[in-house]
Amino acid sequence: MTTRGTPVERSEFLLRAVDLSAGHGRKTVLEGVNLSIRPGEFWFFLGTNAQGKSTLLNTLLGVLPKKGGAIETGRGLDRAAIGYVPQRCDLAPNLPTTAHEFVSLGLVGLAVDRAERDVRVRDALAEVGLGGLERKSYWAMSGGQRQRVLVARALARRPRLLCVDEPMNNLDLVTERNLLSLLARQNRDEGLTVVFVTHDVSVAAHFATHVALVHGRAADVGPKAQLLKPDLLERAYGAPVTIVPLVGMEPARPAPIGATV
Amino acid sequence: MQAFFDSWPLFRETYLAAWWIAALLGLVGVLVVARDQIFVGAAISQASTLGIALGMCVGAAFASEGSVWRSDAFLSVVAVAFAVGAALLIARSSGIGKESHEAVTGFVYLLGASAAVLVIARSPHGLDEVQKLAGSSVIGASAVDVRIFAGLTLVTAVAVFVRRRALVLFAMDPLMARAVGVSRIWDGAAAAWLGLVMGMTIRSAGMLFSFGLLVLPALVAKNVCRATLPMFVVAPLVAVAASVAGFVAGNVSNQNEAQFTVALLCGLLALAWLARSFRHA
Repeated sequence: MTTRGTPVERSEFLLRAVDLSAGHGRKTVLEGVNLSIRPGEFWFFLGTNAQGKSTLLNTLLGVLPKKGGAIETGRGLDRAAIGYVPQRCDLAPNLPTTAHEFVSLGLVGLAVDRAERDVRVRDALAEVGLGGLERKSYWAMSGGQRQRVLVARALARRPRLLCVDEPMNNLDLVTERNLLSLLARQNRDEGLTVVFVTHDVSVAAHFATHVALVHGRAADVGPKAQLLKPDLLERAYGAPVTIVPLVGMEPARPAPIGATV
Repeated sequence: MQAFFDSWPLFRETYLAAWWIAALLGLVGVLVVARDQIFVGAAISQASTLGIALGMCVGAAFASEGSVWRSDAFLSVVAVAFAVGAALLIARSSGIGKESHEAVTGFVYLLGASAAVLVIARSPHGLDEVQKLAGSSVIGASAVDVRIFAGLTLVTAVAVFVRRRALVLFAMDPLMARAVGVSRIWDGAAAAWLGLVMGMTIRSAGMLFSFGLLVLPALVAKNVCRATLPMFVVAPLVAVAASVAGFVAGNVSNQNEAQFTVALLCGLLALAWLARSFRHA
Protein backbone atom coordinates (compact mmCIF):
# COMPACT_ATOMS: atom_id res chain seq x y z
CA MET A 1 0.00 0.00 0.00
CA THR A 2 1.62 3.29 -0.98
CA THR A 3 -0.76 6.25 -0.78
CA ARG A 4 -4.18 6.88 0.63
CA GLY A 5 -4.85 10.36 -0.70
CA THR A 6 -5.09 13.63 1.20
CA PRO A 7 -4.45 13.27 4.94
CA VAL A 8 -7.48 14.04 7.08
CA GLU A 9 -7.41 15.24 10.67
CA ARG A 10 -8.36 12.45 13.04
CA SER A 11 -11.19 14.50 14.44
CA GLU A 12 -12.79 14.78 11.01
CA PHE A 13 -15.25 12.14 9.95
CA LEU A 14 -14.96 10.10 6.79
CA LEU A 15 -18.58 9.07 6.67
CA ARG A 16 -21.50 10.21 8.80
CA ALA A 17 -25.11 9.06 9.03
CA VAL A 18 -27.63 11.50 10.45
CA ASP A 19 -31.02 10.10 11.46
CA LEU A 20 -30.64 7.55 8.68
CA SER A 21 -33.44 5.17 7.69
CA ALA A 22 -32.51 2.16 5.60
CA GLY A 23 -34.32 -0.73 3.94
CA HIS A 24 -34.90 -2.48 0.66
CA GLY A 25 -37.90 -2.44 -1.63
CA ARG A 26 -40.78 -0.92 0.31
CA LYS A 27 -39.54 -2.32 3.61
CA THR A 28 -37.80 -0.09 6.15
CA VAL A 29 -35.38 -2.14 8.24
CA LEU A 30 -33.59 0.53 10.30
CA GLU A 31 -34.58 3.98 11.51
CA GLY A 32 -32.85 6.87 13.23
CA VAL A 33 -29.27 5.66 12.85
CA ASN A 34 -26.60 8.22 13.79
CA LEU A 35 -22.92 7.40 13.49
CA SER A 36 -19.64 9.02 12.51
CA ILE A 37 -16.78 6.97 11.12
CA ARG A 38 -13.41 8.66 11.60
CA PRO A 39 -10.06 7.88 9.96
CA GLY A 40 -8.22 4.88 11.39
CA GLU A 41 -11.21 3.44 13.22
CA PHE A 42 -12.13 -0.23 12.97
CA TRP A 43 -15.91 -0.51 13.02
CA PHE A 44 -17.95 -3.65 13.45
CA PHE A 45 -21.62 -3.81 12.53
CA LEU A 46 -22.95 -6.57 14.78
CA GLY A 47 -26.26 -8.34 15.16
CA THR A 48 -28.17 -11.50 14.40
CA ASN A 49 -29.20 -12.47 10.89
CA ALA A 50 -31.74 -10.30 9.05
CA GLN A 51 -31.48 -7.36 11.48
CA GLY A 52 -30.13 -5.03 8.82
CA LYS A 53 -26.33 -4.99 9.23
CA SER A 54 -25.64 -5.41 5.52
CA THR A 55 -28.55 -3.12 4.66
CA LEU A 56 -26.98 -0.39 6.81
CA LEU A 57 -23.60 -0.84 5.13
CA ASN A 58 -25.06 -0.93 1.62
CA THR A 59 -27.09 2.20 2.33
CA LEU A 60 -24.04 4.06 3.67
CA LEU A 61 -22.23 3.11 0.45
CA GLY A 62 -25.11 4.16 -1.80
CA VAL A 63 -25.64 0.62 -3.09
CA LEU A 64 -29.16 0.83 -1.67
CA PRO A 65 -31.13 4.09 -1.72
CA LYS A 66 -31.69 5.56 1.76
CA LYS A 67 -35.22 5.75 3.13
CA GLY A 68 -34.65 8.93 5.07
CA GLY A 69 -32.10 11.06 6.91
CA ALA A 70 -28.72 12.03 5.50
CA ILE A 71 -25.36 10.50 4.64
CA GLU A 72 -22.44 12.91 4.69
CA THR A 73 -18.96 12.20 3.41
CA GLY A 74 -15.91 13.89 4.86
CA ARG A 75 -13.32 15.89 3.01
CA GLY A 76 -11.35 13.73 0.61
CA LEU A 77 -13.71 10.77 0.71
CA ASP A 78 -15.20 10.09 -2.67
CA ARG A 79 -16.02 6.89 -4.53
CA ALA A 80 -12.38 6.49 -5.48
CA ALA A 81 -11.40 6.27 -1.81
CA ILE A 82 -13.85 3.53 -0.91
CA GLY A 83 -13.14 -0.19 -1.18
CA TYR A 84 -15.93 -2.72 -0.87
CA VAL A 85 -15.84 -6.46 -0.30
CA PRO A 86 -19.36 -7.78 -0.89
CA GLN A 87 -20.91 -10.64 1.02
CA ARG A 88 -20.76 -12.73 -2.10
CA CYS A 89 -19.90 -12.28 -5.74
CA ASP A 90 -22.62 -13.59 -8.05
CA LEU A 91 -20.17 -14.57 -10.72
CA ALA A 92 -21.80 -16.57 -13.52
CA PRO A 93 -20.63 -20.18 -13.23
CA ASN A 94 -17.38 -20.76 -15.05
CA LEU A 95 -17.23 -17.25 -16.49
CA PRO A 96 -13.55 -17.17 -17.42
CA THR A 97 -11.47 -14.76 -15.41
CA THR A 98 -7.98 -14.62 -13.99
CA ALA A 99 -6.91 -13.18 -10.66
CA HIS A 100 -5.38 -10.25 -12.57
CA GLU A 101 -8.55 -9.45 -14.50
CA PHE A 102 -10.76 -9.87 -11.46
CA VAL A 103 -8.67 -7.56 -9.29
CA SER A 104 -8.23 -5.01 -12.08
CA LEU A 105 -12.02 -4.60 -12.21
CA GLY A 106 -11.74 -3.04 -8.76
CA LEU A 107 -10.18 -0.03 -10.47
CA VAL A 108 -13.35 0.85 -12.38
CA GLY A 109 -14.06 4.55 -12.00
CA LEU A 110 -10.41 5.46 -11.34
CA ALA A 111 -8.21 7.16 -13.91
CA VAL A 112 -5.26 4.76 -14.01
CA ASP A 113 -3.17 3.82 -17.02
CA ARG A 114 -2.22 0.28 -17.91
CA ALA A 115 1.18 0.35 -16.17
CA GLU A 116 -0.33 1.76 -12.96
CA ARG A 117 -3.12 -0.79 -13.15
CA ASP A 118 -0.65 -3.66 -13.38
CA VAL A 119 1.33 -2.32 -10.42
CA ARG A 120 -1.77 -1.92 -8.28
CA VAL A 121 -3.06 -5.39 -9.15
CA ARG A 122 0.32 -6.98 -8.41
CA ASP A 123 0.66 -5.08 -5.11
CA ALA A 124 -2.88 -5.91 -4.00
CA LEU A 125 -2.46 -9.61 -4.74
CA ALA A 126 0.87 -9.61 -2.90
CA GLU A 127 -0.76 -7.93 0.10
CA VAL A 128 -3.31 -10.73 0.41
CA GLY A 129 -0.62 -13.40 0.00
CA LEU A 130 -1.38 -14.28 -3.61
CA GLY A 131 1.68 -12.72 -5.23
CA GLY A 132 2.69 -14.47 -8.43
CA LEU A 133 -0.79 -15.87 -9.07
CA GLU A 134 -1.91 -13.06 -11.37
CA ARG A 135 -2.51 -15.38 -14.32
CA LYS A 136 -4.21 -18.12 -12.32
CA SER A 137 -7.85 -18.81 -13.14
CA TYR A 138 -10.31 -17.62 -10.50
CA TRP A 139 -12.04 -20.98 -10.75
CA ALA A 140 -8.85 -22.91 -10.08
CA MET A 141 -8.51 -21.21 -6.69
CA SER A 142 -9.75 -22.48 -3.34
CA GLY A 143 -12.64 -20.78 -1.53
CA GLY A 144 -10.21 -19.01 0.77
CA GLN A 145 -8.09 -17.78 -2.14
CA ARG A 146 -11.20 -16.45 -3.90
CA GLN A 147 -12.13 -14.57 -0.75
CA ARG A 148 -8.67 -13.03 -0.67
CA VAL A 149 -8.99 -12.09 -4.34
CA LEU A 150 -12.19 -10.23 -3.41
CA VAL A 151 -10.26 -8.34 -0.72
CA ALA A 152 -7.42 -7.66 -3.18
CA ARG A 153 -9.94 -6.19 -5.63
CA ALA A 154 -11.00 -3.71 -2.96
CA LEU A 155 -7.41 -2.96 -1.84
CA ALA A 156 -6.31 -2.26 -5.43
CA ARG A 157 -8.26 0.99 -5.19
CA ARG A 158 -5.92 2.01 -2.34
CA PRO A 159 -8.96 3.02 -0.34
CA ARG A 160 -9.15 5.15 2.78
CA LEU A 161 -12.32 3.35 3.82
CA LEU A 162 -12.66 -0.41 3.36
CA CYS A 163 -16.10 -1.96 3.87
CA VAL A 164 -16.25 -5.71 4.30
CA ASP A 165 -19.64 -7.42 4.34
CA GLU A 166 -19.76 -10.76 6.22
CA PRO A 167 -16.72 -12.22 4.50
CA MET A 168 -16.40 -15.17 6.88
CA ASN A 169 -19.43 -17.10 5.64
CA ASN A 170 -18.21 -20.44 4.28
CA LEU A 171 -14.60 -19.80 5.25
CA ASP A 172 -12.55 -22.28 7.24
CA LEU A 173 -10.96 -21.13 10.50
CA VAL A 174 -7.44 -20.64 9.12
CA THR A 175 -8.64 -18.60 6.15
CA GLU A 176 -10.88 -16.55 8.43
CA ARG A 177 -7.97 -15.79 10.77
CA ASN A 178 -5.67 -14.90 7.88
CA LEU A 179 -8.25 -12.50 6.50
CA LEU A 180 -8.74 -10.82 9.86
CA SER A 181 -4.98 -10.53 10.39
CA LEU A 182 -4.65 -8.93 6.99
CA LEU A 183 -7.33 -6.33 7.76
CA ALA A 184 -5.88 -5.71 11.23
CA ARG A 185 -2.46 -5.10 9.71
CA GLN A 186 -3.91 -2.70 7.14
CA ASN A 187 -5.74 -0.85 9.90
CA ARG A 188 -2.79 -0.68 12.29
CA ASP A 189 0.09 -0.09 9.88
CA GLU A 190 -1.55 1.81 7.03
CA GLY A 191 -4.25 3.63 8.97
CA LEU A 192 -6.91 2.08 6.79
CA THR A 193 -10.39 2.69 8.16
CA VAL A 194 -12.39 -0.53 8.18
CA VAL A 195 -16.10 -1.27 8.50
CA PHE A 196 -16.68 -4.98 9.04
CA VAL A 197 -20.08 -6.65 9.09
CA THR A 198 -20.40 -9.86 11.09
CA HIS A 199 -22.46 -11.62 13.75
CA ASP A 200 -19.30 -12.78 15.56
CA VAL A 201 -18.98 -10.81 18.81
CA SER A 202 -15.66 -12.41 19.77
CA VAL A 203 -14.01 -11.16 16.61
CA ALA A 204 -15.42 -7.67 17.22
CA ALA A 205 -14.22 -7.73 20.85
CA HIS A 206 -10.72 -8.46 19.62
CA PHE A 207 -10.40 -6.06 16.71
CA ALA A 208 -12.99 -3.30 16.98
CA THR A 209 -12.50 0.27 18.04
CA HIS A 210 -16.20 1.03 17.51
CA VAL A 211 -19.35 -1.00 17.23
CA ALA A 212 -22.86 -0.64 15.85
CA LEU A 213 -25.19 -3.15 17.52
CA VAL A 214 -28.03 -3.57 15.05
CA HIS A 215 -31.32 -4.89 16.41
CA GLY A 216 -35.03 -4.11 16.44
CA ARG A 217 -35.02 -1.47 13.66
CA ALA A 218 -32.34 0.53 15.48
CA ALA A 219 -28.58 0.59 15.99
CA ASP A 220 -26.73 1.28 19.26
CA VAL A 221 -23.53 2.98 18.24
CA GLY A 222 -20.31 3.84 20.05
CA PRO A 223 -16.84 2.78 21.19
CA LYS A 224 -16.41 -0.94 21.76
CA ALA A 225 -15.97 -0.58 25.51
CA GLN A 226 -19.37 1.06 25.88
CA LEU A 227 -21.33 -1.44 23.86
CA LEU A 228 -19.84 -4.91 24.24
CA LYS A 229 -21.43 -5.40 27.65
CA PRO A 230 -23.37 -8.53 28.63
CA ASP A 231 -26.75 -6.82 29.09
CA LEU A 232 -26.55 -4.90 25.80
CA LEU A 233 -25.38 -7.95 23.89
CA GLU A 234 -28.14 -10.12 25.37
CA ARG A 235 -30.71 -7.54 24.34
CA ALA A 236 -29.31 -7.38 20.81
CA TYR A 237 -28.85 -11.12 20.32
CA GLY A 238 -31.86 -12.32 22.32
CA ALA A 239 -29.71 -14.67 24.38
CA PRO A 240 -26.65 -14.48 26.65
CA VAL A 241 -23.49 -13.98 24.60
CA THR A 242 -20.08 -15.28 25.60
CA ILE A 243 -17.04 -13.52 24.23
CA VAL A 244 -14.26 -16.00 23.50
CA PRO A 245 -10.74 -14.54 23.49
CA LEU A 246 -8.96 -15.02 20.15
CA VAL A 247 -5.71 -16.56 21.32
CA GLY A 248 -2.56 -15.71 19.40
CA MET A 249 -3.93 -12.77 17.47
CA GLU A 250 -2.79 -9.26 18.14
CA PRO A 251 -5.42 -6.52 18.23
CA ALA A 252 -5.81 -4.16 15.32
CA ARG A 253 -5.03 -1.13 17.47
CA PRO A 254 -3.98 -0.83 21.09
CA ALA A 255 -7.12 -0.96 23.22
CA PRO A 256 -8.13 2.45 24.61
CA ILE A 257 -6.93 3.01 28.19
CA GLY A 258 -9.46 1.72 30.66
CA ALA A 259 -11.46 -0.07 28.04
CA THR A 260 -13.20 -3.22 29.19
CA VAL A 261 -15.28 -5.73 27.35
CA MET B 1 -18.82 -22.10 -53.75
CA GLN B 2 -19.52 -20.68 -57.18
CA ALA B 3 -23.24 -20.79 -56.35
CA PHE B 4 -22.63 -18.40 -53.47
CA PHE B 5 -20.69 -15.92 -55.61
CA ASP B 6 -23.35 -16.16 -58.29
CA SER B 7 -26.00 -15.23 -55.73
CA TRP B 8 -23.99 -12.25 -54.43
CA PRO B 9 -25.43 -9.56 -56.76
CA LEU B 10 -28.98 -10.59 -55.87
CA PHE B 11 -28.55 -11.17 -52.14
CA ARG B 12 -25.70 -8.83 -51.26
CA GLU B 13 -27.83 -6.76 -48.84
CA THR B 14 -29.18 -9.91 -47.21
CA TYR B 15 -25.72 -11.32 -46.59
CA LEU B 16 -24.26 -8.04 -45.35
CA ALA B 17 -27.22 -7.38 -43.06
CA ALA B 18 -26.94 -10.88 -41.60
CA TRP B 19 -23.21 -10.50 -40.96
CA TRP B 20 -23.64 -7.12 -39.29
CA ILE B 21 -26.42 -8.67 -37.19
CA ALA B 22 -24.04 -11.51 -36.28
CA ALA B 23 -21.34 -9.07 -35.13
CA LEU B 24 -23.89 -6.99 -33.20
CA LEU B 25 -25.46 -9.96 -31.43
CA GLY B 26 -22.03 -11.45 -30.75
CA LEU B 27 -21.05 -8.29 -28.87
CA VAL B 28 -24.31 -7.91 -26.94
CA GLY B 29 -24.40 -11.63 -26.20
CA VAL B 30 -21.23 -11.43 -24.11
CA LEU B 31 -23.08 -9.34 -21.54
CA VAL B 32 -26.04 -11.73 -21.57
CA VAL B 33 -23.81 -14.77 -21.07
CA ALA B 34 -21.63 -13.03 -18.48
CA ARG B 35 -24.76 -12.28 -16.44
CA ASP B 36 -25.91 -15.89 -16.89
CA GLN B 37 -29.21 -14.69 -18.37
CA ILE B 38 -29.25 -16.75 -21.53
CA PHE B 39 -32.99 -17.26 -21.80
CA VAL B 40 -33.65 -13.53 -21.65
CA GLY B 41 -32.91 -13.54 -25.38
CA ALA B 42 -35.57 -16.18 -26.06
CA ALA B 43 -38.14 -14.38 -23.91
CA ILE B 44 -37.49 -11.04 -25.61
CA SER B 45 -37.79 -12.74 -29.01
CA GLN B 46 -41.20 -14.10 -28.09
CA ALA B 47 -42.37 -10.75 -26.74
CA SER B 48 -41.24 -9.15 -29.97
CA THR B 49 -43.23 -11.73 -31.95
CA LEU B 50 -46.29 -10.86 -29.87
CA GLY B 51 -45.75 -7.20 -30.77
CA ILE B 52 -45.60 -8.05 -34.47
CA ALA B 53 -48.76 -10.16 -34.16
CA LEU B 54 -50.61 -7.32 -32.43
CA GLY B 55 -49.29 -4.84 -35.00
CA MET B 56 -50.59 -7.01 -37.84
CA CYS B 57 -54.00 -7.29 -36.17
CA VAL B 58 -54.20 -3.52 -35.69
CA GLY B 59 -53.25 -3.02 -39.34
CA ALA B 60 -55.79 -5.56 -40.58
CA ALA B 61 -58.61 -4.27 -38.40
CA PHE B 62 -58.25 -0.50 -38.60
CA ALA B 63 -56.23 0.42 -41.69
CA SER B 64 -56.60 0.09 -45.40
CA GLU B 65 -54.12 -1.56 -47.77
CA GLY B 66 -51.04 0.64 -48.23
CA SER B 67 -51.58 2.50 -44.96
CA VAL B 68 -48.62 3.18 -42.67
CA TRP B 69 -50.27 0.94 -40.06
CA ARG B 70 -49.73 -1.98 -42.41
CA SER B 71 -46.15 -1.11 -43.30
CA ASP B 72 -42.97 -2.97 -42.37
CA ALA B 73 -41.75 0.13 -40.58
CA PHE B 74 -44.77 0.08 -38.24
CA LEU B 75 -44.27 -3.63 -37.50
CA SER B 76 -40.58 -2.99 -36.81
CA VAL B 77 -41.45 -0.21 -34.36
CA VAL B 78 -43.97 -2.44 -32.56
CA ALA B 79 -41.47 -5.32 -32.48
CA VAL B 80 -38.81 -3.10 -30.93
CA ALA B 81 -41.27 -1.55 -28.46
CA PHE B 82 -42.38 -4.96 -27.20
CA ALA B 83 -38.80 -6.22 -27.05
CA VAL B 84 -37.63 -3.20 -25.05
CA GLY B 85 -40.69 -3.44 -22.77
CA ALA B 86 -40.03 -7.13 -22.12
CA ALA B 87 -36.34 -6.52 -21.42
CA LEU B 88 -37.16 -3.74 -18.94
CA LEU B 89 -39.89 -5.83 -17.30
CA ILE B 90 -37.45 -8.70 -16.76
CA ALA B 91 -34.74 -6.37 -15.46
CA ARG B 92 -37.03 -4.52 -13.05
CA SER B 93 -39.22 -7.36 -11.82
CA SER B 94 -36.44 -9.51 -10.45
CA GLY B 95 -34.09 -8.85 -7.58
CA ILE B 96 -33.98 -8.73 -3.78
CA GLY B 97 -37.42 -9.41 -2.34
CA LYS B 98 -38.91 -9.95 -5.78
CA GLU B 99 -39.52 -12.90 -8.09
CA SER B 100 -36.50 -14.80 -9.42
CA HIS B 101 -35.01 -13.76 -12.73
CA GLU B 102 -35.75 -17.17 -14.26
CA ALA B 103 -39.41 -17.01 -13.20
CA VAL B 104 -39.99 -13.60 -14.81
CA THR B 105 -38.09 -14.66 -17.93
CA GLY B 106 -40.22 -17.81 -18.19
CA PHE B 107 -43.40 -15.80 -17.72
CA VAL B 108 -42.49 -13.36 -20.52
CA TYR B 109 -41.49 -16.21 -22.84
CA LEU B 110 -44.69 -18.18 -22.31
CA LEU B 111 -46.94 -15.13 -22.50
CA GLY B 112 -45.30 -14.03 -25.75
CA ALA B 113 -45.38 -17.50 -27.29
CA SER B 114 -49.01 -18.28 -26.45
CA ALA B 115 -50.56 -14.86 -26.95
CA ALA B 116 -48.83 -14.30 -30.32
CA VAL B 117 -50.42 -17.41 -31.81
CA LEU B 118 -53.83 -16.63 -30.28
CA VAL B 119 -53.75 -13.05 -31.55
CA ILE B 120 -52.59 -13.91 -35.05
CA ALA B 121 -54.58 -17.10 -35.63
CA ARG B 122 -57.50 -15.38 -37.31
CA SER B 123 -55.46 -12.91 -39.31
CA PRO B 124 -54.90 -13.69 -43.00
CA HIS B 125 -51.28 -14.88 -43.50
CA GLY B 126 -50.74 -14.33 -39.76
CA LEU B 127 -49.57 -17.80 -38.90
CA ASP B 128 -47.29 -17.77 -41.94
CA GLU B 129 -45.67 -14.63 -40.54
CA VAL B 130 -45.22 -16.16 -37.09
CA GLN B 131 -43.74 -19.31 -38.61
CA LYS B 132 -41.41 -17.20 -40.74
CA LEU B 133 -40.21 -15.33 -37.66
CA ALA B 134 -39.77 -18.54 -35.68
CA GLY B 135 -37.97 -20.31 -38.49
CA SER B 136 -35.70 -17.44 -39.47
CA SER B 137 -35.36 -16.31 -43.02
CA VAL B 138 -33.04 -13.40 -43.65
CA ILE B 139 -33.99 -13.08 -47.29
CA GLY B 140 -35.25 -9.65 -48.20
CA ALA B 141 -32.96 -7.26 -46.30
CA SER B 142 -32.51 -3.87 -47.93
CA ALA B 143 -29.61 -1.41 -48.11
CA VAL B 144 -31.32 0.54 -45.30
CA ASP B 145 -31.21 -2.59 -43.12
CA VAL B 146 -27.49 -2.93 -43.82
CA ARG B 147 -26.88 0.66 -42.75
CA ILE B 148 -29.03 0.34 -39.63
CA PHE B 149 -27.27 -2.80 -38.42
CA ALA B 150 -23.84 -1.45 -39.32
CA GLY B 151 -24.64 1.68 -37.29
CA LEU B 152 -25.94 -0.30 -34.32
CA THR B 153 -22.87 -2.53 -34.40
CA LEU B 154 -20.45 0.37 -34.49
CA VAL B 155 -22.23 2.24 -31.69
CA THR B 156 -22.24 -0.91 -29.57
CA ALA B 157 -18.58 -1.64 -30.32
CA VAL B 158 -17.50 1.87 -29.34
CA ALA B 159 -19.56 1.77 -26.12
CA VAL B 160 -18.16 -1.63 -25.21
CA PHE B 161 -14.58 -0.55 -25.96
CA VAL B 162 -14.86 2.63 -23.89
CA ARG B 163 -16.63 1.07 -20.87
CA ARG B 164 -15.54 -2.56 -21.13
CA ARG B 165 -14.22 -2.90 -17.58
CA ALA B 166 -17.25 -1.25 -16.03
CA LEU B 167 -19.48 -3.48 -18.17
CA VAL B 168 -17.71 -6.63 -17.02
CA LEU B 169 -17.80 -5.53 -13.38
CA PHE B 170 -21.49 -4.68 -13.76
CA ALA B 171 -22.12 -8.14 -15.25
CA MET B 172 -19.99 -10.01 -12.70
CA ASP B 173 -20.79 -8.15 -9.53
CA PRO B 174 -23.56 -5.53 -9.68
CA LEU B 175 -23.24 -4.67 -5.96
CA MET B 176 -19.55 -3.89 -6.26
CA ALA B 177 -20.27 -1.93 -9.43
CA ARG B 178 -22.77 0.24 -7.57
CA ALA B 179 -20.42 0.68 -4.63
CA VAL B 180 -17.71 2.10 -6.92
CA GLY B 181 -20.12 4.46 -8.63
CA VAL B 182 -21.51 2.57 -11.64
CA SER B 183 -24.99 4.07 -11.84
CA ARG B 184 -28.04 1.90 -11.22
CA ILE B 185 -29.33 3.33 -14.51
CA TRP B 186 -27.02 0.82 -16.21
CA ASP B 187 -29.46 -1.99 -15.43
CA GLY B 188 -32.24 -0.28 -17.37
CA ALA B 189 -29.93 0.98 -20.10
CA ALA B 190 -28.46 -2.48 -20.71
CA ALA B 191 -31.93 -4.03 -20.78
CA ALA B 192 -33.27 -1.35 -23.14
CA TRP B 193 -30.31 -1.76 -25.51
CA LEU B 194 -30.73 -5.55 -25.51
CA GLY B 195 -34.44 -5.08 -26.25
CA LEU B 196 -33.71 -2.62 -29.06
CA VAL B 197 -31.14 -4.91 -30.66
CA MET B 198 -33.29 -8.02 -30.35
CA GLY B 199 -36.42 -6.23 -31.59
CA MET B 200 -34.58 -4.95 -34.66
CA THR B 201 -32.93 -8.27 -35.47
CA ILE B 202 -36.05 -10.40 -34.90
CA ARG B 203 -37.95 -8.40 -37.48
CA SER B 204 -35.16 -8.85 -40.04
CA ALA B 205 -33.68 -12.23 -39.24
CA GLY B 206 -36.24 -14.16 -37.19
CA MET B 207 -36.10 -15.76 -33.78
CA LEU B 208 -33.78 -18.70 -34.35
CA PHE B 209 -31.00 -16.66 -35.98
CA SER B 210 -31.31 -13.81 -33.44
CA PHE B 211 -31.41 -15.99 -30.33
CA GLY B 212 -28.76 -18.37 -31.67
CA LEU B 213 -26.35 -15.59 -32.60
CA LEU B 214 -26.98 -13.85 -29.28
CA VAL B 215 -25.93 -16.73 -27.05
CA LEU B 216 -23.93 -19.31 -29.02
CA PRO B 217 -20.88 -17.20 -30.05
CA ALA B 218 -20.59 -15.80 -26.51
CA LEU B 219 -20.81 -19.33 -25.08
CA VAL B 220 -18.10 -20.50 -27.49
CA ALA B 221 -15.96 -17.53 -26.44
CA LYS B 222 -16.62 -18.28 -22.77
CA ASN B 223 -15.22 -21.77 -23.26
CA VAL B 224 -12.11 -20.80 -25.21
CA CYS B 225 -11.07 -17.58 -23.46
CA ARG B 226 -9.11 -17.41 -20.20
CA ALA B 227 -10.60 -14.07 -19.21
CA THR B 228 -13.87 -12.21 -19.76
CA LEU B 229 -12.60 -9.09 -21.55
CA PRO B 230 -11.26 -11.00 -24.60
CA MET B 231 -14.76 -12.45 -25.06
CA PHE B 232 -15.80 -9.07 -26.49
CA VAL B 233 -13.40 -9.71 -29.38
CA VAL B 234 -13.73 -13.47 -29.76
CA ALA B 235 -17.55 -13.69 -29.68
CA PRO B 236 -18.23 -11.27 -32.59
CA LEU B 237 -15.42 -12.89 -34.62
CA VAL B 238 -16.92 -16.34 -34.04
CA ALA B 239 -20.38 -15.00 -34.90
CA VAL B 240 -19.28 -13.41 -38.16
CA ALA B 241 -17.07 -16.35 -39.19
CA ALA B 242 -19.85 -18.85 -38.48
CA SER B 243 -22.46 -16.81 -40.32
CA VAL B 244 -20.19 -16.36 -43.36
CA ALA B 245 -19.50 -20.11 -43.39
CA GLY B 246 -23.17 -20.89 -42.73
CA PHE B 247 -24.36 -18.66 -45.56
CA VAL B 248 -21.85 -20.06 -48.03
CA ALA B 249 -22.58 -23.68 -47.03
CA GLY B 250 -26.33 -23.10 -46.92
CA ASN B 251 -26.25 -21.53 -50.35
CA VAL B 252 -24.11 -24.28 -51.85
CA SER B 253 -26.27 -27.05 -50.35
CA ASN B 254 -29.51 -25.19 -51.01
CA GLN B 255 -30.45 -25.19 -47.31
CA ASN B 256 -31.75 -22.39 -45.04
CA GLU B 257 -28.67 -20.26 -44.31
CA ALA B 258 -29.84 -19.07 -40.90
CA GLN B 259 -30.47 -22.58 -39.65
CA PHE B 260 -27.18 -23.74 -41.14
CA THR B 261 -25.36 -20.99 -39.24
CA VAL B 262 -27.02 -21.83 -35.92
CA ALA B 263 -26.33 -25.56 -36.39
CA LEU B 264 -22.71 -24.75 -37.17
CA LEU B 265 -22.44 -22.67 -33.99
CA CYS B 266 -23.95 -25.52 -31.96
CA GLY B 267 -21.25 -27.78 -33.38
CA LEU B 268 -18.57 -25.23 -32.47
CA LEU B 269 -19.93 -24.99 -28.93
CA ALA B 270 -19.87 -28.78 -28.55
CA LEU B 271 -16.23 -28.74 -29.72
CA ALA B 272 -15.42 -25.94 -27.28
CA TRP B 273 -16.97 -27.92 -24.41
CA LEU B 274 -14.97 -30.97 -25.47
CA ALA B 275 -11.73 -28.96 -25.62
CA ARG B 276 -12.47 -27.47 -22.22
CA SER B 277 -13.10 -30.85 -20.64
CA PHE B 278 -9.76 -32.12 -22.03
CA ARG B 279 -8.03 -29.00 -20.72
CA HIS B 280 -9.39 -29.58 -17.22
CA ALA B 281 -8.83 -33.35 -17.28
